[in-house]
Amino acid sequence: MKVERNFFSAKAIGYLIITVSALIMVMPFVTALFNSLKTYAEFTAVPPRWIPELFQWSNYAEVFKLGNFLDYTANSFLVTFLSVLGALLSCSMVGFAFARLKFPLKNILFVMVLGTMMIPPVVIIIPHFMIFKQMNLLDTLTPLWLLECLAQPFGIFLMRQAFMSIPKEYEESAKLDGCNPFQTYWRIFMPMVRPSLATVAIFTFMTKWNEILAPSIYLTSNEKFTLPIGILSLSGQWFGNEQYMVAAALMSLIPILIVFLFAERYFVSNFTNSGIK
Amino acid sequence: MKQHKSFSILLSIILVMVIFIAGCSSNSSTTDNESSNENDTSNSEEEQVTINLGFYSGGESDEKMQELIDGFMEKHPEIKVTTQSAPYGQFFQKLDTQIAAGEAPDIWLSDGVLVMKYAERGAVKDLTEWVNRDLNKEEYYGLEFNEDTNGKYWGVPQGIQIGALYYNKDLFDQAGVDYPNEDWTWEDLKEVAAKLTIDASDKKPGDEGFNSDNIKQFGLTFFSITEGWFPVLKSYGGGILNDSLNKSIINSDENKQALEWMVDGMSRGIITDPADLKSFQSSMAVFPSGSAAMRIGIYARVLAANEAGLNYDVTVLPKGPDGERFSPVIANSWVINDSTSDKKAKAAWEWIKYWATEDEVQKEWAALGEAVPVKKSVANSEVFLNASDKPENREAFLESFDFAGTLDTNAVWSEWVAKFNEHAQRAFLKESTIDEALENADKDIQEIVDEFYKE
Repeated sequence: MKVERNFFSAKAIGYLIITVSALIMVMPFVTALFNSLKTYAEFTAVPPRWIPELFQWSNYAEVFKLGNFLDYTANSFLVTFLSVLGALLSCSMVGFAFARLKFPLKNILFVMVLGTMMIPPVVIIIPHFMIFKQMNLLDTLTPLWLLECLAQPFGIFLMRQAFMSIPKEYEESAKLDGCNPFQTYWRIFMPMVRPSLATVAIFTFMTKWNEILAPSIYLTSNEKFTLPIGILSLSGQWFGNEQYMVAAALMSLIPILIVFLFAERYFVSNFTNSGIK
Repeated sequence: MKQHKSFSILLSIILVMVIFIAGCSSNSSTTDNESSNENDTSNSEEEQVTINLGFYSGGESDEKMQELIDGFMEKHPEIKVTTQSAPYGQFFQKLDTQIAAGEAPDIWLSDGVLVMKYAERGAVKDLTEWVNRDLNKEEYYGLEFNEDTNGKYWGVPQGIQIGALYYNKDLFDQAGVDYPNEDWTWEDLKEVAAKLTIDASDKKPGDEGFNSDNIKQFGLTFFSITEGWFPVLKSYGGGILNDSLNKSIINSDENKQALEWMVDGMSRGIITDPADLKSFQSSMAVFPSGSAAMRIGIYARVLAANEAGLNYDVTVLPKGPDGERFSPVIANSWVINDSTSDKKAKAAWEWIKYWATEDEVQKEWAALGEAVPVKKSVANSEVFLNASDKPENREAFLESFDFAGTLDTNAVWSEWVAKFNEHAQRAFLKESTIDEALENADKDIQEIVDEFYKE
C-alpha cells in the first residue's frame, strides 16, 4: 500500500514537472501569438499587456498587403522540397558507399568529408557566388537547392552511421538473391534506415525553410524571395512594423509544424525492426 | 522488379524537374545578360541602356520606389531600370559579396554612414564633376555630407535623417514642468529630466527611498551613437576624430565632461543605461511606449511615435556648456558603381538628377514620412511641414541643419563605432572609470584607423 502511494506521488510530481515545463515551453509561442494581434501602441506598451485589448486579426491580412507573401511561400516550398529530395538521395547514396562498399582511399576521403564541416560557411560565400555567377544562376532559386543535391557532410555522416549498423547478413543474402550493390542499397537497405532518412529530411527542411544568408545573397528580385527574406523585408530601415513581422513569422511556422507532426512517428520508431528474424 | 521500376520513374521525374528548373532560370538570366551586353557595346544614342538599381526594401516604401522608377522610365524611354532589393540588414552583406565578385548593381542606395566605406575602397564613382555641373548646391540639404576631406562628392542624398529632441507632452503636463525650449543646455535638460523620472513606487529622484535601479519612467532615453553619445560629445566641444578623419581626438577634457554628464544621469536613474534598455522589447520602443519623457531622435522616429499615438513634439537639441550645438546627420545616398560602363553611369546619373531635382519625385517620397526631403524647396513647403499633425514643430528639423554634422564617417566607421560603444558601455555600467574608457577607446580606435589609412 505504502509503496503504491509513494509511486503515485512520484508520478504526480513527475506530471507536475512535465506540465510546468510544457507551459514554460509554450509561453513564448502564446506571447508571440498575442503580440501578432496587437496594435503598435500595445506592442510597445510598458508595462506590457499580455493579452491585447482588441484582437487585431487584420494584422494577418496586412502582411499579405505588404509583400508578395504567396510568392514567397511558393518559392520557399519549391526550394525546400527539392532540397529535401536531393539531400535524401545524395546523402544516402554517399553514406551507403562509405559504409558498405570497398574502394581505394575510402577512409581518407571520409575524413576529408568530415573535415569540410569545419569550414565556416562565411568563408565559402564568395567562391560559391562566383561559381553560380559563371553558371548564370544568380537571381534564380537553383543555387538554394542545388547544393543540397550534392550530399552535404552532416547527412553523409548520419546515413553512414545508419547503414553501418545493419548486420552484414542482409547484404550477403541480398547478394545470394542476385542483387547488385545498387539494388541492395535501394531495395534492402533504404527501407531499413527510415528513421535516419526522416532525420535528414527534417533537418534539411528546417534549415532550408529558415535559411537567410544564402537567399539574401543569391536572390535580387523581390518576387523570387523566400519566406524569411520576405518577412524581413516587411520592416524598413527606420520602422519595424514589428507586429506584422510576428504575424508573418507565425504563419511561416505552420508548414514546419505540419511536417513535424507528419514525420514524428519516424522519430519515435527505431531500429527494432532491423533485427535478424 | 516493381520497386525498381518505380525508382527509375522517380529518378527520371527528378531529372526532368532539375533540367526544367535550371533551364528556365538560366535561360532568363542569359537573355538578360545578352541584352545588357548589347547595350554596352552599341554606340547609337537611341539604343536602350539598362541599369540595375539596388535598394534596401522596407514594406510600404517599395511600392513608392517602383512607382517613381516607372515614372522615370516614362520620362527617359532610352533607359530601362531593373531593380534588386533585400531587407536592410542583408542588403549590405550581399553588396560586399557582389562587389567582391564584380556583380554589384550599377547604382545603389547606400546608408549614409557607409558612403565613405565604399568611396575610400574605390567601389563607387567620384561624382564631383557631375554634381558641380548639374546641381545647384544652394538648393539642397546635405550634399556636403557626402563630401570627403578633399572636397570630392561620392553620392547624392536620397533622404536625410537629422537629430532633434523629442518630448512627450503628456508626461511633461503630468509633472507640471515647462516644455523644452531652444535655450536649453544639456544641464537644463538633466534638471528637468530629474523631475520627470519616476521609480516603481512613484518616487522621484531626491525623494527619500528613491530606487534608481527600478525606474518606470525615465527622463531621457539614450542609446547608440546617433541618438545618444555623439551629439552630446560634439556639443561639449569633444568628438571622435579630427577634421581629416584619420586621428582620434577622444582623450580630451571636453569628452570627459560630456561622459561625466551621461554617467551621472544614468547612475541617478534619469537616463536609460544599457542595462535598462535590455528590459524593453527594443531600445527604440522606450519613447513610443511612453516610458521616457524625452529622447534624442532622428526624423524617422516620427513614424513610430505617430503609430503609437503619442502626444509629443520636437525641438532642437540642447546646447553644450559653451553654447555650442550639434545635430547628427545621416544622409542616405545614391552612389554609382565605379566599375560600371560610362554609358550606364550616365544613365544612373540621370536617375539621381530625376530624384534630386524633380519636385514631384521629392514630394512623393516625402509623403512616406521616412526622411527630410533633400530639396530645400520641398522641405520648406507644406508637403513636409504639414505632413502629419504631429510633431507640430517640424521646423526644428530644418533649423537643425544650421549646426548639423556627420558622425565622423570614414572608411572604417562601423569598426570604430563598435569599439567606442564597447568602452562607453563599460563606463556607463560603471565597470570602468571614464578616464579608463576614454584612454582605451582612444588607443583602440587609433589602431583601427591606422590600419586602414597607413597603407
